[in-house]
Amino acid sequence: MTGFLSAYLRNRGAIAGVIVLLIVAFVAATASILFPFSPWDMRGIPFAMPGETDFLLGSDSLGRDVAAGIAYGARVSLLIGAVSTAVAVFLGVTLGAIAGYAGGFVDDAIMRFSEFFQTVPSFVLAVVLVAIFSPSLGSIVAAIAIVSWPPVTRVIRAEFLSLRSREFVQAAEVLGRSRPAIVFLEILPNALTPIIVLSSLMVANAILLESGLSFLGLGDPNMMSWGFMIGAGRSVIRLAWWMSVFPGVAIFLTVLALNLVGEGLSDALNPRLARRR
Amino acid sequence: MTVLTVENLTVALPSGGDREHAIESVNFTLDAGEILCIVGESGSGKSISAAAIMGLLPPALKVRTGTIDFEGNDLLRLPPEQMRVLRGRRLGMIFQEPMTALNPLMRVGDQIAEVLKVHNVCGSSERVGELLAAVNLPDPARLGRSYPHLLSGGQRQRVMIAMALALEPAVLIADEPTTALDVTTQMQILRLIKDIQRRRGMGVLFITHDFGVVAEIADRVVVMQQGRIVETGAVASVLDHPRHDYTKALIAAVPHQARPPEPAATGRPVLELVGVRKTFSRGGGLFGRRVAVAAVSDADIVLRKGETLGLVGESGSGKSTLARCVVDLVHPETGAIRFHDTDLRLLTRANWKPFRNRIQMVFQDPFASLNPRRRVGDIIATGPMAHGVSRHEAHERVRDLLSLVQLDPGAADRYPHEFSGGQRQRIGIARALAMEPELLIADEPVSALDVSVQAQILALLEELRLRLGLTMLFITHDLRVAAQICGRVAVMQRGVIVEQGITSEVFSRPRHPYTRGLLDSIPGRSWLPPVA
Repeated sequence: MTGFLSAYLRNRGAIAGVIVLLIVAFVAATASILFPFSPWDMRGIPFAMPGETDFLLGSDSLGRDVAAGIAYGARVSLLIGAVSTAVAVFLGVTLGAIAGYAGGFVDDAIMRFSEFFQTVPSFVLAVVLVAIFSPSLGSIVAAIAIVSWPPVTRVIRAEFLSLRSREFVQAAEVLGRSRPAIVFLEILPNALTPIIVLSSLMVANAILLESGLSFLGLGDPNMMSWGFMIGAGRSVIRLAWWMSVFPGVAIFLTVLALNLVGEGLSDALNPRLARRR
Repeated sequence: MTVLTVENLTVALPSGGDREHAIESVNFTLDAGEILCIVGESGSGKSISAAAIMGLLPPALKVRTGTIDFEGNDLLRLPPEQMRVLRGRRLGMIFQEPMTALNPLMRVGDQIAEVLKVHNVCGSSERVGELLAAVNLPDPARLGRSYPHLLSGGQRQRVMIAMALALEPAVLIADEPTTALDVTTQMQILRLIKDIQRRRGMGVLFITHDFGVVAEIADRVVVMQQGRIVETGAVASVLDHPRHDYTKALIAAVPHQARPPEPAATGRPVLELVGVRKTFSRGGGLFGRRVAVAAVSDADIVLRKGETLGLVGESGSGKSTLARCVVDLVHPETGAIRFHDTDLRLLTRANWKPFRNRIQMVFQDPFASLNPRRRVGDIIATGPMAHGVSRHEAHERVRDLLSLVQLDPGAADRYPHEFSGGQRQRIGIARALAMEPELLIADEPVSALDVSVQAQILALLEELRLRLGLTMLFITHDLRVAAQICGRVAVMQRGVIVEQGITSEVFSRPRHPYTRGLLDSIPGRSWLPPVA
């Protein structure tokens, strides 16, 4: 464990990523203390410049506080990113484990099924799903999870295929362990490393998808979100650049941070790379 | 005439290693026209010495002191351009793994021609043919046009030797060139190296861990332990009159006592294989036709209570597949696998479960056979717990089992990576014994281990067999090991059991030509280690 930590801390970008993520999480957690009002409230004159009349990052066309919007939007982004990734990882690991361990016809069936999802552009599929099931937090999470599980399945299946023939798995068979025990207690713990790396990148991807959806007006109408803010500011970008720029910067920094963390994890968890440095 | 002199060579390990120096104050000389063997166990620094001579040390390892004098140049202080000229032209090297040493996308002949081109030698196309013929490859012209994947391991190693010899170097360094090869191929390669060395009067630095190979090929021997040279001398004096304790211990560990003949087991058969056949189908896919390969055909074996049957053969002979058939890791198409009165082949997974208690297996690779994410205690307790023993009781027994295989009971709380290869193999044995089996299948249990550790594990298995009255099916490719531990042997070739009988009889009067070939290929067969 200390070995992992020191390997991770050697990567400066990864440290920066963690710090940015911690700041975003802190802002999301303390949004109602920093801004003890609804982000939908009109707080003053519209189109106030950043720094003008109590608006740290300016106000929008209805006099709403952009800074408060970003703080409350962080909640939505992190929540959707985390939950949809959890659902996608659960789906992907289960299907990938079954495909990799069972092999044969089951494997073929599951992989063709996952390819069905991979051939449809994921954003278009997510738009269609959210549009059909009316935009809400639940439907957005479900749509993002449905379009992002196939890569997890592929990775887990590949890991299982190589681990299944390892001698410790054969030993478990010879000892007479049950199939679920072999899959979940013997093989799965050895296949988790790439999933940890992959899921940090999936959170980033989910945040982008959610922003894209709410930019198109398919966000949860009761939740302030970064994509919605950019979408609302788009038409007045020449008049009030701050309405689109600051939420954009928030998305950019969060996604960048998650990618840095993912790369740091991948370097630290891959002993061959870690040794070369 | 001395061509290569290594003096006072010390190479540092990166800080945090288990010792300060990879090799320390190493001195030796190599004469033209002799074969010098560097022999030692893994981690003794023998490969590092060779890499230092070729200037191929990994960047993390730094030379502290010393000189390597070759034809008046100090190789350690030569600028890289001059070193590049020497490498290949004056110093040749062959590596351990012939499977990965060739570029898979280049024809064999082109790879050899490339060596010549890099060193600006003209007339390469005829030369390639000559070289391939010189390493006794059949039909050099056709072989030169083939890609490496079409060649067997032995053929690839010959191509590597041809490449190393292309520019007639003064010194050839061979780093375990036969370790990855089968015993009959190994003998051919050893003879080839010796033959070429004689013809060209080269100096050969031959690195190996196998004293049999040393006896077969060496003129002089250097014995290394923990980065130091502990003994140097002519091959006869070192092998027959070792002076240093470590050399004595190593030579004593070479399996050599033939097992005293014991009364043939007459008890009830524990395991009976009748006409077992397993075919794998290879290739196929959407358009290709699947090709059936018989891994085991019509194998008949009887194993009586308390005896040890050795299954010997080269890689690909089907011996591991046969063993895996017995424990249902591989399902044979036809035949009967009778364990006492039950035909195991016909059982379902659920009906198999009671027999898991009675048939257990020890695996080959101690680094792959233990789950790296679980503690040793859990690994050993898993089996009994899967059969309904309570967690508490199973863990109680772990301590007894660890002491049975001569490990510290504190080992239960640690992870497999904290143990050496030999210790892991003991853990693997403890895991199998936790089920209190009556039949133990050991699949090459010592082939991944150093010779001294190998001797300990063999002694442990023999002791356990006598103490617990185990019946054992012992799979090995090493005939010396088989001679030491098995009462009877069965020899397998390409899926067929060609000969079977009492070990001493089979080995002294082999009937089948394949058995004879195998026995003739034991390296250093004429050398009998002095009994300590």
